[in-house]
Amino acid sequence: MTLTESPSLLVAGIGEMVLSSSPDAHLVAYGLGSCIALAVWDPRTKVGGLAHFMLPNGPANSGSPVKFIDTGLDEFLHAVEAKGAVLGRCIFKAAGAAAMLTVGGGLAIGKRNAEAMDAALKERGHSLVATALGGNAGRTVQLEVADGRFLIKSLSSVSEL
Amino acid sequence: MTLTLSEAGQNVVAGTFGKAMKRAGEALGSMSGQIIEVQTPMLKRCSAADVLAMAGGPESVVLAVYVGINGSLEGHALLLFSPADAHRLAAILLAGLLGPGELPMEESADVLNYDELELSALQEAGNVTISAFLNELGTHLHEPVMPTPPQVVIEMAGAVLDAVLLDLVNDGDQVLAAKTTFSEGGRDIDGSLFVLPRADSLRVLLDALGAIGL
Repeated sequence: MTLTESPSLLVAGIGEMVLSSSPDAHLVAYGLGSCIALAVWDPRTKVGGLAHFMLPNGPANSGSPVKFIDTGLDEFLHAVEAKGAVLGRCIFKAAGAAAMLTVGGGLAIGKRNAEAMDAALKERGHSLVATALGGNAGRTVQLEVADGRFLIKSLSSVSEL
Repeated sequence: MTLTLSEAGQNVVAGTFGKAMKRAGEALGSMSGQIIEVQTPMLKRCSAADVLAMAGGPESVVLAVYVGINGSLEGHALLLFSPADAHRLAAILLAGLLGPGELPMEESADVLNYDELELSALQEAGNVTISAFLNELGTHLHEPVMPTPPQVVIEMAGAVLDAVLLDLVNDGDQVLAAKTTFSEGGRDIDGSLFVLPRADSLRVLLDALGAIGL
């Protein structure tokens, strides 16, 4: 299985989010290491959003809307709502937050990202139903807006959440 | 932190980084027994996304040797190769070390598979190259620069670089990226050396070089 290449491929670069209500749309974040991608999908209105967060916390208005989980999560969730999703029935999935580098010691950002995402969602009354977090492999992720499938591709495997 | 350098200041920095890159290429060349040419380095103040683009895009697969930089200069250094050229460089390095005829000659069907000897040679290549670069910068600083042991990772470039970039964007939106490419025998080795200093130690380095206030 390969991830889809099509005109309706919307890419969330580092610190960016993409949203769609088109059934043809595939929302993608490439090459996640310590970063964390959050996928939100409304099964009734078939609205999906994918955000590529970088760090647990930091200042708002940093140039990228979803650079930081604490200041960017609400902005992302509001954008998903504005597109026609009702958050109360949305399905939340997350992937990434790996630890690629073991030397140096000071780069445990992946773990902090995973914890911050879990806590920030709980605070807002949401929870992750499926995750592919941690480990030491990079991931490319794709949210299928038509059916909410969340595909995870690493160099050695492809799986689906 | 925003550091604005005059044109003269930028030239001083470019000259120093250029010399350091040349030393890095010489070190790689003397390890391999071949002449390794180093292009004039690209020195750029840019965003995290720009660094990923410079590395070939977040999903391009690379063999990366990572070295953390501590001491008087703090930051990160990475030597990146395309998977095929990493095999080529490993073959050149091992031929230099073992002599002809002692190499396993069969081509691996899977370009992402490296044997232990290859990985060890490439790890050492990263170590030697990055150390040579840092030694050159270190001659301008009063305290020693201390690299961590090297780590080899075969991964998507985005995944290797994002932890490093996340560590740097805490300091501000822009990072200083120095990048060069190598060639051997007129053929490019698709390899890039990235040196990404932390903002506060970049200021120390620029001060030491006399690049601020020129």
